[in-house]
Amino acid sequence: MSDHHQDSPQTFDYKHVGGRFLGLVATALVAYIAVFVGAGYDPAQFAFSYLFAFTFFLTICMGGLFWILVHHAVDAEWSVVVRRQLENIASLLPVLGLLFVPLVFVAPQLWQWMRPENAHDPLLLEKWPYLTPAFFWGRAAFYFFFFTVAAVWLRANSILQDKDGAPRYTVFNRRITFASLPLFAVCLTFGAIDWLMGLDYHWFSTMWGVYIFAGTALSSLCVLVLLITALRGAGYFRNIISVEHYHIIGKLMFAFTVFWAYIGFSQYMLIWYANIPEETIYFLRRNTESWQILSTALVVGHFFVPFLLLLPNPGKRKPAFLCGVAVWILLMHLLDIYVVVLPALHKAGVALSWMDFACLAAVGCTLAAVFLKRLGDAPLWPLRDPRLPNSIALKN
Amino acid sequence: MSTAGNKSAPVFGIAAEFSCARDLYHAAEKIRDAGFRKWDVFSPFPIHGMDEAMGMKRSLLGKIVFLGGLTGFFTAVTLEFVPTSFLYPLIVAGKPTNLFTVPAFFPIMFELTILISAFTAVFGMLIMNGLPRLNHALFNWDRFKKVTEDKFFVAIESGDPKFSERSVRDLLESLGGTNVTTIHGD
Repeated sequence: MSDHHQDSPQTFDYKHVGGRFLGLVATALVAYIAVFVGAGYDPAQFAFSYLFAFTFFLTICMGGLFWILVHHAVDAEWSVVVRRQLENIASLLPVLGLLFVPLVFVAPQLWQWMRPENAHDPLLLEKWPYLTPAFFWGRAAFYFFFFTVAAVWLRANSILQDKDGAPRYTVFNRRITFASLPLFAVCLTFGAIDWLMGLDYHWFSTMWGVYIFAGTALSSLCVLVLLITALRGAGYFRNIISVEHYHIIGKLMFAFTVFWAYIGFSQYMLIWYANIPEETIYFLRRNTESWQILSTALVVGHFFVPFLLLLPNPGKRKPAFLCGVAVWILLMHLLDIYVVVLPALHKAGVALSWMDFACLAAVGCTLAAVFLKRLGDAPLWPLRDPRLPNSIALKN
Repeated sequence: MSTAGNKSAPVFGIAAEFSCARDLYHAAEKIRDAGFRKWDVFSPFPIHGMDEAMGMKRSLLGKIVFLGGLTGFFTAVTLEFVPTSFLYPLIVAGKPTNLFTVPAFFPIMFELTILISAFTAVFGMLIMNGLPRLNHALFNWDRFKKVTEDKFFVAIESGDPKFSERSVRDLLESLGGTNVTTIHGD
């Protein structure tokens, strides 16, 4: 394999980042201070803006972990060359665990069931003991404990394999994966239920977990495409990642675009058709006032546009085109999370706040800075994975 | 000059045997470059990249399936809207027929699109492959039965414009094919 490696550096050189790292840290700091001040004036707006930003980035990082788990579980070949980048994305999950902490201080703003005036609501008592503070925070701790252990452990084994190329790391990671997959499904589903469905504790949807998962898997693929394209642009991955890899990622993006629409529509259809007030409240709020515009934009922008763009074969083999689609889908994913979170606060209609953007900047820049650190910590792809040659020689 | 089949019947083509997938792959590239049109390779398992080695173009089937899908979609649209909106308008569960109640029709549109697409794909593939068929001239050759075990074959058909028995035979032998045999029909 040495002939493949000669013309492409194996590790990331920080000269490509330069002062931008400090820029990220400075932006994050400024954003945190601004948001902290803003939180003093309007804690409710802060709570929702922060949850919105937090959820957007959490879904992307959970998606990174999901694709690693799928890779190991099915013993995939094609994804070996991009696996390290997925591992880097997933390794941000412990950071997100820390970034969850501010939500603890504004929890009753977000999750109304925590408020004393709702303590005797019969609908809340029906949900005892699931919706009790001790169990709620215990679950959150467990989710992040699991995410951290799985992401860090899989990545550590993968990096160890770079040294001696022993196949036992592949086998061991597969074992970790088999234990992790069911736990991942549980943590993602109940995380979505606790933090997003819990914004209105009267409301429930049996498809909520899988709906959030659809956006999770899709958005992480988009980030992966942008990431490997940026690295290729800087001169990495030469003779390692080819258009064949883009083609596969493009196909998966297409598949999960359709999956998102399928799940989103199924959820809507069941609730709309059954017409039970405590279920329809979710869509009533989002399909009236100015929220209606955003919900409609979501249907068109999150499904029809990427569906038609990704349907023909040639586009998926053009990195620049695929990057354009990836940026578009990520914007739509942002809109999706916005329409999930913010209507619970602004019931009268869309009301953008500067804190929405400040929270995005704060969380996003923090994660980007940590990511840059992770990027340089380890080789850019699993150098001595037994399946690497087959992955490089991929043909669709 | 080994032959198979009924010698008084017309010649189907000339076939040769190869012992491994790599030899078959390289032979296919040479036959492609020699400009033959009507020929095929046979192997016990799919060989990656063989389409390219044979110079095959992208199948037309995908476009036909797209048309099948459109047919299914418009069938559903017609079958749903014509009766429930025009012929016999119904209000079910307080939901009249207008743009906002169209989600009720989506599952049928989706399912029929998928159904007709799937039918077009399966039956279109069978028709384009000339299937089902009961027999093939190559089965007249005993050695060809090994194709489901461990042997690899090439057959150049007599219908090819460049076909001549002598030159094809020489070509197959020069490519390393063994047991080059003229195959007759029944």
